[in-house]
Amino acid sequence: MSPLVHQFAEFLHDLQQLERAALSAHGTLIVDAFTKHTPYDVSAVYLRDGRGPVLRLVAKSDACIAPDLIESEEIEAFLLDPEPRHLIPIRTIRDHFGIIALNGDAASDEDLQMLHAAGTFAGSVLSNHRMAQEMREGDFQLKYRLWELESLYDIGLSIAGTLNIDALADEILFRMISLINARRAALFLRDGDKFRVYRSFGDTRSDFLDDEITDRVVAAGEALTFEDASECIFPGCIATVAVPIKGNNAVIGVLAAGDRETREGDVGAFEANELRLLSLFANQVAIALENARLHKEALEKQAMQRELDLAATIQRDILPKSIPTVEGIELAALSRPAKQVGGDYHAFFQRDGSLTTIVADVSGKSMPAALLVSAFHAAVQLLFAEGRELGDIATELNRHIHSWSAENKFITMIMVTIDPEAETIQFVNAGHNPCYVLTGDHIEQLRSHGLPIGILGTSKYMTQTRPFPAGSAVVLYSDGINEAENVAGDEWGNEVFEELLALRSTISASALRDSIAEAVDAFVGEAAQKDDQTLVIARTAM
Amino acid sequence: MTEELRVAVDRKPNGAVLYTKGYINNVGGEEIANRAYELMDDNVRTLLLNLRDTKIVNSIGISILIEIIEKMIDKGGSIAFCCLTPVIHKTFQIMGLANYARIFDNEETAIKELGL
Repeated sequence: MSPLVHQFAEFLHDLQQLERAALSAHGTLIVDAFTKHTPYDVSAVYLRDGRGPVLRLVAKSDACIAPDLIESEEIEAFLLDPEPRHLIPIRTIRDHFGIIALNGDAASDEDLQMLHAAGTFAGSVLSNHRMAQEMREGDFQLKYRLWELESLYDIGLSIAGTLNIDALADEILFRMISLINARRAALFLRDGDKFRVYRSFGDTRSDFLDDEITDRVVAAGEALTFEDASECIFPGCIATVAVPIKGNNAVIGVLAAGDRETREGDVGAFEANELRLLSLFANQVAIALENARLHKEALEKQAMQRELDLAATIQRDILPKSIPTVEGIELAALSRPAKQVGGDYHAFFQRDGSLTTIVADVSGKSMPAALLVSAFHAAVQLLFAEGRELGDIATELNRHIHSWSAENKFITMIMVTIDPEAETIQFVNAGHNPCYVLTGDHIEQLRSHGLPIGILGTSKYMTQTRPFPAGSAVVLYSDGINEAENVAGDEWGNEVFEELLALRSTISASALRDSIAEAVDAFVGEAAQKDDQTLVIARTAM
Repeated sequence: MTEELRVAVDRKPNGAVLYTKGYINNVGGEEIANRAYELMDDNVRTLLLNLRDTKIVNSIGISILIEIIEKMIDKGGSIAFCCLTPVIHKTFQIMGLANYARIFDNEETAIKELGL
């Protein structure tokens, strides 16, 4: 190989390094190669910015005064000082990459051919470099689109399978930020007429989405961008985007993001493809949030049902398992709890040949009522065991329940003691329905003569006494009997009740109980039982 | 929720471990790149990035991580990742990072395998 060819090969080899070097190193590499392998000094090197018309100064000698940018290939129009001896274009047939300004002695034709050949070679290398760069960017963009699609698919699987709303909110926010290169984001969920921040990333303005923005997003029903500083969702944001999360019947939330990043390190407006992506994302989020909401509701229902079951168990366990056998008294009872646990209570006590029965109704439903019934039951058992008389028991019960229970809780109660031998009936009626005493064809009501138990701590109750001739019956009941409703919402009522009692005043206690139950059931028909039904009937022997 | 990324460096006898905490976006990516390039200039040729406290990476952050990997490969070294969330792990696979950088489930295995 001739020395000239060898020298030219080394020149090209050095220029070949452009292919692997970073863009920022290209100017230096060109200067080094031309300085090393030609007799000329490089005064300046201009390279094109991408495919645009602007040539940028990338390297120059200390002595050269040159503008940073030139707008076209007409470098002759620009004054370089000192004026270059030679201008060597860096170009291929298709593309122009830049120009090299050289100083030095006049060149021969052969030298000029070599310089131009080197410039063309450098152009080819830069062309390869650019193609490789574009391929890499294209590959990246392709993979990025694939990642977007995979993300949407994954989001569908992942967030639809996440039923914990807190975990779901984090997942939604992370995915959204990642997908659209946002620096700030928030998930707003409906809170009445407003949308409250449920999760946020970065600085957010307030706890609620601005009313005007809310109206616009809900009305649009699709992703909207806000590029006016006055209407930005986050403070100091250049541009934000908001998209409604549409549930079955209404907008259930809003996803908002701001400060979209660019590779240059700036933040800018969101692009159309990102809005489309965000809208698709919001559809997935809506399904996931609905699933989470339904799951939460199901859990709450389960918890409520467990509470009701427990309350029913408590109440069932404290009611008499069987009716006591008392000489000279026939007893019959009916206890039908409503589906939703109420607070009916009844009990029997025997003492010295007499029988005491209690029917009570605790205000409220479910667990609180069951607990109060439980406390009432314990106190009743204790007080009767002490052998106290009815008025004293009622007074003590009132004091106990008033101090123990919540302010708005009370118990209506009727207690009757039948003494077959003395043929008397004693009673205390604390705010309860009047009970009926049936003697022959005569019906008497034993009405309330005091406040319900627990209303006023200082209330005192006096025992009332009435004659109760042999063969008489007493009928105690809760308001679930006389206020039983049919499908039309009408109550069975005391008038009908009393007519029935008048017709059946002499039949046995159990027959009378069955007769009342049948009449109530016939009246109620297909309507659901709204309240506990308790009925206690005691009849003395003739 | 942490917005800005923080990077901690643990020099090892045969390389270094970078711990990231926060969002790997443009700003976060540049922070990692600066620390990685400092280490490369200091002749570190094996870098392990532990992303256990990073939950979000965006596309710009990924492109910066790719640049770091390429630069290290040019210098004859290697970069590996460990402790990725399932979402970030899948992202790295789709975006091709897994083709040029090893990914480990935990730091202990990574340090052992890389000989740090």
